[in-house]
Amino acid sequence: MIPAQFDYVAPATLEEALTLLSEHGDEAKVLAGGQSLLPVLRMRLNAPGVVVDISGIQELKEITDQGESIRIGAGATYQDVLDSPLVREHLGLLHKAVTEVADPQIRHRGTVCGALAHSDPAGDVGGPVLALDATMEVQSRGVVGPRQVAAADFFVDLFETAVGDGELLTAVTIPKHTGWGSHYEKFVRVSHQWAIIGVAAAVRAEGGTIAEAKVGLTNMGSVPLRATAVEQALVGLAATEEALAEACSLAGEGTDPPSDLNGQADYRRHLAGVLTRRAVLAAAGG
Amino acid sequence: MGMQLEHSFTVDASPEATWALLTDLESVGGCFPGATVTEADEQTFKGNVKVRLGPIAVTYQGEGRFLERDDAAHRAVIEGTGKGLRGLGNAGATVTMQLAPEGSGTRADVVTELSITGKPAQFGRGVMQTVSDKLLGQFVSCVESKLAGSAGG
Amino acid sequence: MTAVDETRAPSAEVGRDRRRKEDQHLITGRSRFTDNIVLPGMLHVAMVRRPYAHARITGIDASAAQESPGVVAVLTGDDVKDQQGSLPNAWPVTPEQKAPPHPAIAVDRVAFSGEVVAAVVARTAAAARDAAELVDVDYEELDPVVDLKAAAADEKLAHPDLGTNRSALWVFDSAEAGTGGDVEEAIRDAEVLVEREFRQQRLIPAFMEPRSVVVDPTGEQFTMWSATQVPHILRLMLALTLAVPESKIRVIAPDVGGGFGGKLQVTPEEVITFLVARRTGKPCKWTETRSESLLSGHHGRDQWQKLTLAARRDGTVTGLKVELTANMGAYLGLVTSGIPILGAFMFNAIYKFPSYRFECQNVFTNLTWTDAYRGAGRPEATFAIERMMDELATELGRDPIEVREQNWIKHEEFPFTTVAGLEYDSGNYEAATARAKELFGYDELRAEQARRRESGDRVQLGIGVSTFTEMCGLAPSRVLGSLSYGAGGWEHASVRMLPSGKVEVITGSSAHGQGHETAWSQIVADQLGVPFEDVEVLHGDTQISHKGLDTYGSRSLVVGGQAVIKAAQKVIDKARPLAAHVLEANVDDLEFAEGRFTVRGAGEGQEGIGLTDLALAVFAAHDLPDGMEPSLDADATYDPVNFSYPHGTHLCAMEVDTETGQSRMRAYVCVDDVGNVVNPLIVDGQVHGGLVQGIAQALWEEAVYDDQGTLVTGSFVDYTLPTSADTISYVTDRTVTPSTTNDLGAKGVGEAGTIASTPAVVNAVLDAVRQFGVTDIRMPMTPERVWRAIQEGRGSAPTPEAAQPHFEAGEPNQDTPETEGGQA
Repeated sequence: MIPAQFDYVAPATLEEALTLLSEHGDEAKVLAGGQSLLPVLRMRLNAPGVVVDISGIQELKEITDQGESIRIGAGATYQDVLDSPLVREHLGLLHKAVTEVADPQIRHRGTVCGALAHSDPAGDVGGPVLALDATMEVQSRGVVGPRQVAAADFFVDLFETAVGDGELLTAVTIPKHTGWGSHYEKFVRVSHQWAIIGVAAAVRAEGGTIAEAKVGLTNMGSVPLRATAVEQALVGLAATEEALAEACSLAGEGTDPPSDLNGQADYRRHLAGVLTRRAVLAAAGG
Repeated sequence: MGMQLEHSFTVDASPEATWALLTDLESVGGCFPGATVTEADEQTFKGNVKVRLGPIAVTYQGEGRFLERDDAAHRAVIEGTGKGLRGLGNAGATVTMQLAPEGSGTRADVVTELSITGKPAQFGRGVMQTVSDKLLGQFVSCVESKLAGSAGG
Repeated sequence: MTAVDETRAPSAEVGRDRRRKEDQHLITGRSRFTDNIVLPGMLHVAMVRRPYAHARITGIDASAAQESPGVVAVLTGDDVKDQQGSLPNAWPVTPEQKAPPHPAIAVDRVAFSGEVVAAVVARTAAAARDAAELVDVDYEELDPVVDLKAAAADEKLAHPDLGTNRSALWVFDSAEAGTGGDVEEAIRDAEVLVEREFRQQRLIPAFMEPRSVVVDPTGEQFTMWSATQVPHILRLMLALTLAVPESKIRVIAPDVGGGFGGKLQVTPEEVITFLVARRTGKPCKWTETRSESLLSGHHGRDQWQKLTLAARRDGTVTGLKVELTANMGAYLGLVTSGIPILGAFMFNAIYKFPSYRFECQNVFTNLTWTDAYRGAGRPEATFAIERMMDELATELGRDPIEVREQNWIKHEEFPFTTVAGLEYDSGNYEAATARAKELFGYDELRAEQARRRESGDRVQLGIGVSTFTEMCGLAPSRVLGSLSYGAGGWEHASVRMLPSGKVEVITGSSAHGQGHETAWSQIVADQLGVPFEDVEVLHGDTQISHKGLDTYGSRSLVVGGQAVIKAAQKVIDKARPLAAHVLEANVDDLEFAEGRFTVRGAGEGQEGIGLTDLALAVFAAHDLPDGMEPSLDADATYDPVNFSYPHGTHLCAMEVDTETGQSRMRAYVCVDDVGNVVNPLIVDGQVHGGLVQGIAQALWEEAVYDDQGTLVTGSFVDYTLPTSADTISYVTDRTVTPSTTNDLGAKGVGEAGTIASTPAVVNAVLDAVRQFGVTDIRMPMTPERVWRAIQEGRGSAPTPEAAQPHFEAGEPNQDTPETEGGQA
């Protein structure tokens, strides 16, 4: 598997990277961890003129405490996120989802922002990031300061995001959810597989009752989904299986998930209901 | 890998006017997402289709022609075949269009079939199925909007 | 004689869990796989494969590729059609067998997706790959034959010129063969009749090292390095296919990273690389990508199996009829046509069927051709019969082990001639089963299963039983001859005594991960009384190991190992006159033990003389008995008199989440009887790996084509191989009844785990969900298939709402020990 020939540039600074992207437009592809791009290049399903490798840009690697939120730079790998005490304390849901990503080799190379920019609905971080009301920072040359895009507006369609030609997703900023219970329920046949479906749930419980719930769905449509109807129905319910079951069973309603070798759409919708109940219950500590 | 999409819509114009637009191969061919029509005459067209989707960017070179054309019954079948560059494999599309009067306007039934062989079909997880559905959807809505636009204007 | 038994000396090597001596270089980066080989001036080959399952080639324009930088040559079918011959099929199963010519490069038609239509030769691998994409081929698409049953009905033709898709019909009938009664009679008189149809899905061998070949045409011989299991067969077949003198071809299988049958082949790519090297006069290399491997390396299994089992109401089986439809794919490879036939003798398994009929229809389709895959025909047979025995038990409302025991061959009945005409030499199914039940905690798990069923637990428990035997040690040449196989089943070995006291063993078995170097060293150390470390095992190069039939079919130890013993014994026999000469004793008074000759009756304290001392004396040759040639080296070619018949009992417990269809393995116990064991560590490794491969067929793997004949599981994204993260810790144990057909008493272990585990898992999942009206679930048993089977089962046989755990809001996994329930 040998990719078609391309030019390779590894800028040392964000400024340089943005300049390269603006110069090359749609001829350029951004390489962060390469876990999605390289297979495509090797299969020769793309042959970009230039690959801009941003993995050497130090300023993008940081995971920082912004007070009310945590900011994860575009160069931070899954493993960096897993190892981050900030993420573990304030973004339990993301931490749990990342533990389920593929295998250790991929987690040491792949990046959270790379996965978000790739916008594969079967990726494990889209749902949690959406559920946690994240904001994406998108930058381009000649524009002062990042453009802030809410997660809800970021995922446009299968493999399509709000990031345009010449732009770069530089960070994702996620509001702290300190003290929330969380769980990521990933459904696979073999462990290293893409999610057949996944349910990301974060719950703030008060005295055994759900005060607030956030639920994101993986691979239930062409973009990560937020199960808002379920979230609303959960508020005020006791954190027991009996109490939650009905509200959660709605999770698959109105979704248009893919049909493939691992499951037809109706099966995925069924799973969404079952797994949402399990995820919410686990997040609520039930 | 093959898939089919059925779509119906109505436009506020007579079947005859609609028919003239629909049988303009340059216009219909150009409706395919990423397509550039390079030559066209009454019966055939040539061009290329650049499918760009996230990490994937592939180009097909192709041509199309009428398989059937019944001006009286307002029924046409257009076949397009594309050869993928870089050993990609091939793609083929068949579009069956049938017009019928409905009220003061015209009802159009469009059945599009797309088949893709080779590497994209092996991309995995049936993603290309989703992609193809999307491309077909865009194609039909382009045809619809052209008709609506022209007929309305 | 039995060289190995329970009373082995403490110093004996055979039976020790030696660490594998070949591993050090493999795990420290000093391995030498074919792709590691770099020769001066070497060119690289890339194959142009086309995506159509079936098409006529109407034109090839290679001009752009030819002009591409670094390109030396582009070869199409037209360029080589007069030299490439037809790839060999060594097993015409019937005299009437039909088959199309099998070109290495397609000439005017492609018959499966992935077939080679051109080869590009360039100075670098990247340049070859770039140029391959510039070869412009025009096709006229033809209707592909994808569905196996439709193909068997000749609805459309995979090879129009052949006039039919039916390659051969192979039949065995016990009444005709005189080995049993008439199965139709048994079916007519049956008190219980079980008819079932099973699908053996298509699998892909997926060895770790992709295939690779290097051909150097610059010496006196053509030297081919290839990632192959069969260097000897490859050499002969290249000579026959390409009309090159066999003496001008040397084949080397260097380190080979797994095969599982997938490298038991003479491949188009080997032939093409040879032709390209000959044409360019330069060393050429081809190494496949993983996508190429999945697409165009041969596949395995792929059958429809229809079985009819007749029995009496008391559970005694009276007849078995098997009707197979076997998918050859587009062409016949080396042993494609014989693979399903290998199952012919195994459907009756360990049971005493009085009548038996086996029919196999081999059928062409426009898919990748099939051939050997771990177990080759025997896993398919074992799966079907073990499913049937469970079906019979269900029909009778009895415990599946009990019904099996009622029908299996008792240990005191060996040797036993089966209804398929084989003579099973030894075995003890009772002992293996008893041990397995004990390790498994069979009765406790049955009780837990009943509790879960009773309480309507969301997670139901199923217990799967599978017993197996296989014919391995392929094979007595006479038997192969009677099956029209194109070669014999002997194996060759040499033992060379070096003057320094070291020993070289040359074996015709060609290891590709099995650990032959270690096991053979242990055997020879014991035979000759030399240290394990002093034995060097050489193999896999036809100029070193000039004679052999290679490694497949669990044959290496029981055939190749026995050849090594025979050669070692000849060395001792050759040394005996010299020892007598040196010790000034009569030859008949000599005894040989622990590497030394001593004189019988000469007392405890005598020194005698060591075999290695004699090796030095022979080297010097100063003082040999009159007429003795100065050599102790010896060759042996051993042809087995019978197969060997390992057996085992496997028990599996699966938990099935009835809400999602997800199944999870709870426990797996296998007790195998592989006869005497040379190295228990290697045996455990073979069993563990085999289990995973068989479990993977039950749960995970399937090669899927779309209706146009495109492989949609063309990468590991969709061809879901398991990793260690998907497995549990298996409990393995052994019982031993030594084989009587070889001196080691060994039976072969390479395929055992794969054969028995698939039905154990499937039976377990079904056992968990039969209560919902489910009677079968196709492999692989994906969560979706299990879930749908439960839904459909419930739909066809509605159960009261209260008994549906799916909708019950009770606590999960709560057992209520006081309740009891019946079994399926």
